[in-house]
Amino acid sequence: MITLSPLKKFQYPVMAECINPDVFKGKTTAEIAALSVWEGNKQKTLGDLFAIEETAAENPSIVINGDASKVRRVGMGMKNGEIVVNGNIGMHVGEKMAGGKITVNGDAGGWAGSDMKKGLIEIHGNAGDYLASPYRGSSTGMRGGTIIVHGNVGSDSAVFMRGGVIKIRGNAGPFLGFRMGDGTVYVQKECGTRVGACMTGGKIIIAGALQEVMPTFTIDSIKPKVKVDETETAAGPFYVFLGDLAESGSGKIFVSKAVNPHLSMYEKYL
Amino acid sequence: MSIVKAVTCPVCGSLCDDIELTVENNEVVKVKNGCAMCESKYLGYKSEHRIRTPLVRKDGKFVPVSMDEAVHKAAEILANANYPILYGWSSTNCEAQRVGVELAEEVGGVLDNTAVVCHGPSILSVQEVGIPTCTLGQIRHRADLMLYWGCDPWSAHPRHLERYTSFTEGRFEDSAWKAYLQKVKAAAGKKKLVSAERLEFVKSRPRPQTQACTISGPPQTLKKDGRKLIVIDVRKSMTAEMADYFIQVEPNKDYEVMQAIRALVRDHELDVDKVGGIPVEYLEEVADALVNCNFGVIFFGMGLTQSAGKFRNIDVAISLIRDLNRRTKFAIMPMRGHFNVAGANIVSTWQSGYPYGVDFSLGYPRYNPGETTCMDVLLRGESDASLVIAADPGATFPKRAVEHMVKTPLIVIDPHMNATAMLADIVFPSAFVGIEVGGTAYRMDNVPLPLKKVVEPPAGILPDEEILKRILEEVRIIKAQKMAKQAEAA
Amino acid sequence: MAEMLIKNGFVFDPINRINGEKMDIAIKDGKIVGSVNERRAKKIDATGLTVMPGGVDIHTHIAGAEVNTGRLMRPEDHVKDVVRKTPLTRSGVGYSIPSTFVTGYRYSKMGYTTIMNPSMPPLEAKHTHEELNDTPMLDKASYPLLGDWWFVLEYLRKGDLTECARYVAWMMGTSKGYAIKIVNPGGLESWGFGRNVHSIDDEVPNFCITPREIMCGLAKVNKMLNLPHTIHLHTNNLGLPGNYATTLETMRALESVASGDKPVAHITHLQFSSFAGDGWGNMRSGAEEISKYINAHNHITFDMGQVIFTDTTTMTADGPFEYTLYELSGHKWVNTDIETETSGGIIPFHYKRNNAVNATQWSIALELALLIEDPWKMFLTTDHPNGGPFFAYPKIIAWLSSKKARMATLKKCHKKAQKKSLLPSITRELTLYDIAIVTRAGQAKALGLKEKGHLGVGADADIAIYNINPEKTDIARKYKTARRAFGNAAYTLKDGKVVVKDGEITQHVDGKTIWLDVQTAEQVKVDEEMKRRFKEYWTVEYDNYPVFDHYVKVPSPITVKADV
Repeated sequence: MITLSPLKKFQYPVMAECINPDVFKGKTTAEIAALSVWEGNKQKTLGDLFAIEETAAENPSIVINGDASKVRRVGMGMKNGEIVVNGNIGMHVGEKMAGGKITVNGDAGGWAGSDMKKGLIEIHGNAGDYLASPYRGSSTGMRGGTIIVHGNVGSDSAVFMRGGVIKIRGNAGPFLGFRMGDGTVYVQKECGTRVGACMTGGKIIIAGALQEVMPTFTIDSIKPKVKVDETETAAGPFYVFLGDLAESGSGKIFVSKAVNPHLSMYEKYL
Repeated sequence: MSIVKAVTCPVCGSLCDDIELTVENNEVVKVKNGCAMCESKYLGYKSEHRIRTPLVRKDGKFVPVSMDEAVHKAAEILANANYPILYGWSSTNCEAQRVGVELAEEVGGVLDNTAVVCHGPSILSVQEVGIPTCTLGQIRHRADLMLYWGCDPWSAHPRHLERYTSFTEGRFEDSAWKAYLQKVKAAAGKKKLVSAERLEFVKSRPRPQTQACTISGPPQTLKKDGRKLIVIDVRKSMTAEMADYFIQVEPNKDYEVMQAIRALVRDHELDVDKVGGIPVEYLEEVADALVNCNFGVIFFGMGLTQSAGKFRNIDVAISLIRDLNRRTKFAIMPMRGHFNVAGANIVSTWQSGYPYGVDFSLGYPRYNPGETTCMDVLLRGESDASLVIAADPGATFPKRAVEHMVKTPLIVIDPHMNATAMLADIVFPSAFVGIEVGGTAYRMDNVPLPLKKVVEPPAGILPDEEILKRILEEVRIIKAQKMAKQAEAA
Repeated sequence: MAEMLIKNGFVFDPINRINGEKMDIAIKDGKIVGSVNERRAKKIDATGLTVMPGGVDIHTHIAGAEVNTGRLMRPEDHVKDVVRKTPLTRSGVGYSIPSTFVTGYRYSKMGYTTIMNPSMPPLEAKHTHEELNDTPMLDKASYPLLGDWWFVLEYLRKGDLTECARYVAWMMGTSKGYAIKIVNPGGLESWGFGRNVHSIDDEVPNFCITPREIMCGLAKVNKMLNLPHTIHLHTNNLGLPGNYATTLETMRALESVASGDKPVAHITHLQFSSFAGDGWGNMRSGAEEISKYINAHNHITFDMGQVIFTDTTTMTADGPFEYTLYELSGHKWVNTDIETETSGGIIPFHYKRNNAVNATQWSIALELALLIEDPWKMFLTTDHPNGGPFFAYPKIIAWLSSKKARMATLKKCHKKAQKKSLLPSITRELTLYDIAIVTRAGQAKALGLKEKGHLGVGADADIAIYNINPEKTDIARKYKTARRAFGNAAYTLKDGKVVVKDGEITQHVDGKTIWLDVQTAEQVKVDEEMKRRFKEYWTVEYDNYPVFDHYVKVPSPITVKADV
């Protein structure tokens, strides 16, 4: 196990895609300390910015202790192992992740789990905007794996989602699941506006309050419960909406009936 | 006295290039063809307080210094910075913008232009869904349906309607000016009547109150031949007064309205009666008008890009145009504000691949608005130096962002002593682009036009391009000296 | 300026009929000379290396409004291929639509020194030239899009070829262009109202003229003006199944303009115009029919438009075709119609080996290049970035010169495409001499660039030296060696300066911009009437329309004496 502790409070962005169990594997502490990172526009080594300690324990592979909210790209593209962050972490954590596990005991910056393919990211604090959403211009978002956020999530999350599961124990911002094609998003508390806009497939489950459903969704039925994944089922009853009609889509949005009595006007179409 | 013809106006994104200026004793004395904004720019720019030498802040006060000293100080700040930002660029020429990209690359900084606070969001949507568009002449010749959404050209781009859209003669479409003239006369008459009543010349008659929501069924004019003008906005703007049909949408409901029109164009039925405060039957009429025109165009403004949903609003607008092209011919265009904000995007794109928010700190261009855009960098307190040129973020950015900008060294290049300059550590006065210096600018439809130098700048005042080149040269000298020192030490 | 001597290389200079002869090349003041002072001259030891004229690309979209919109819309394309700044070179992005600097560097690394930017809307020509100024290492020229320009349509309809010619001459100087580009003639004007033309005899709405009349008319104008290149033609119905018939008709129509063996037209990216079948389901190669015709006629030259299996960006002035691609793919779609002149469209496109249509397209281009017997007729291009990025050229060289190489790729293609492909029956393998023709000599000749594409005395000293020893390496068998060598020139010389060594840039040079100054006996009358018409047609003033001299950093105009 390698423990990294920031040597100072960072002002400039720190690009540290080398903080990845696959990269650290088989390297001595000295070799790890010599890995290249960028602080602002200066190229540095990991050892310049972090105190690096090695202990015999196998798991987790990497622990970051302290405020790493300016440290970006941690666990980028990782395939194996586990990273635990005790503190906040910067943008792009677990981007392009293809396996392994990342636990953040704090908040995560934007684009966490962006382009994720496999593995597990668990964020115990809040997540920023664009959780699991792809890079600008790309139309393929998260394809697999699981993301669990215990706090709230910013806007434009699960955009272009193509597979996998996202569980949000808190609130979600607007445009959740925009242009989503497949996969499951579960929001346990309040959900922002324009949820599922332009979605063509997949399902979004909202157990909390929802101000309004996009006018381009049509009510389909009322279901008593809905499966989130192998381990979890959300208890309803839920209104089931189909859409987005603007894309002639067949995505499903499940909205809690009990929490959202204002949606009862849709019942006349059933 | 001399008359300069075919001058391109350096004010708004319409970039009218038929301005005729009369110049006397190195001063513009008369403006022909221009709108009020154009006239006040050419006739009024001289009256503004003009500084004649670079200024450097010493002990809290501005002190005039030589160009060389200011350049050296600015270069030193930039060469030694760990994460500088270089912001502005929309009100200068492409020639200066070119040097700007090179300077940002040389100092490993974040290059960003004012598009980020106006139509940058539109670009994000273009990157997701593309954009079916055309040049303005195509609209003049062919368009029989114009829809202005969230913009008011009559006030912000005053000659847009007369030069490019409703009130211009095209090869296949005639001007709709006469019909509007009558309407305007009637409106003006009504206004006169109102003011007369106010002055109690005329006995006031009870009139129906203006409705809070001006929604009424689509008028017959929507079905007329020839050019039709539709305006969708949250308030009844001047342009809306002239329109064949005006739809007032509830604030921040543009997205829902547009998405509903999309579904209707695709012949879906909706479960709701109203969207954004507008009855669905009316939206159906609009959808019909859109589908049945020969060539339609949607112009959108900041009312759309900066309302709730931001760039997703443009996403849905463009998606609507994509859908409509299955049925007829349709185009869409942003109403760009500053005269060369389009150029700033274009130059940045050809040199770096990206239109704004370009981070060179890793030695190569990196782009991710939200991460690499100046305002976000400032809000997160990450930068350690700023260069601001041809923009005034001190007046337009949120307080917290400005506070951080002021905390770190700030260099300003601008002809005006604007709000940002007042906060700066180094100020370079520069020549007015399009008046005292020529160059190139790009119109809102990306057509390049030459700017003209019509008068000489005051003695000692240099163009932006020249100032930037000098700073760049000095940065290179300082970096080379630093490298040499390091090599010596090693 | 220093003298230089390239010693002892195997020289391939087809224009001067030199086929792998071991000889020295002497350079003075950026030009090739008969001899230099051996003692004083700087020497490059080319022993065991292949020496060719610098590469010439007749058709590659590298600059201008459309290319730049392509860049703007594809951050996800750039992010996978970034280029760091070095003390000598600027930073940028690569892949399918590289930034301007990277474009220059990458061409130069492959030994290319001259490129033709084939799609310039005159209204936006300033933009094109501004970008070309920022495209280093290369000499470059652009073709203004004239096939749907209202002036052309109107004068041709009237049958007034002389006046049409005068306006074309005016436009070459005004836009600083090099050749008449025609894209889907008539189709682009029709696209102004969302329509298209579907055969060369369809009438263009509102203009009473047919594509046949436009093509033949402009080919005649081209002859009257004595332009160095022919008309540069993108055919009607491009990219649609069954279009090989349109292409045959087009070629037959142009016979009427031909006289002798001198080409009167260049049909570009021929692959996209050689589809047989009547739908996407049974789309197949029309290469056999097309090449049979071409082998029997000499009035047209061609380039390949090879497809590369990768994610790329398609962009063309053919707006209606891009719309078809949009309908097929649902991808992000850009359309840009240009008033009075032309249109344009952009769609990202991923050519996949396991897609029957894409794999067939890949095969068609190679079939054409191999079945057309005379290499002076058919040149190597990808129609960058439409078929794939230009830096894939070494791959194409390998496929053309090695049956082994192309069979290795074919084996991985969609079964249906494999079964229909003519490639297994073709044994022809291009030699280094042939490669020198299809990548430089033939292109320079077709373009009428007298100082390019050869190493004779008086030619520009634009030279590529590749790490191939033709005595030791058989490129048909060692195709991977050839691929590496053509991708990383041992040396590239531009105007006698070494700008690349071992695949790395050693010097940043600007390169020239070439255009035509066409001198007609009588010029277009620029009077109030012309200015009034101008104001009616365009939304910019006559005075602001031209590309002024200061828009070109290193000007290199060619004066042409016209017959009118």
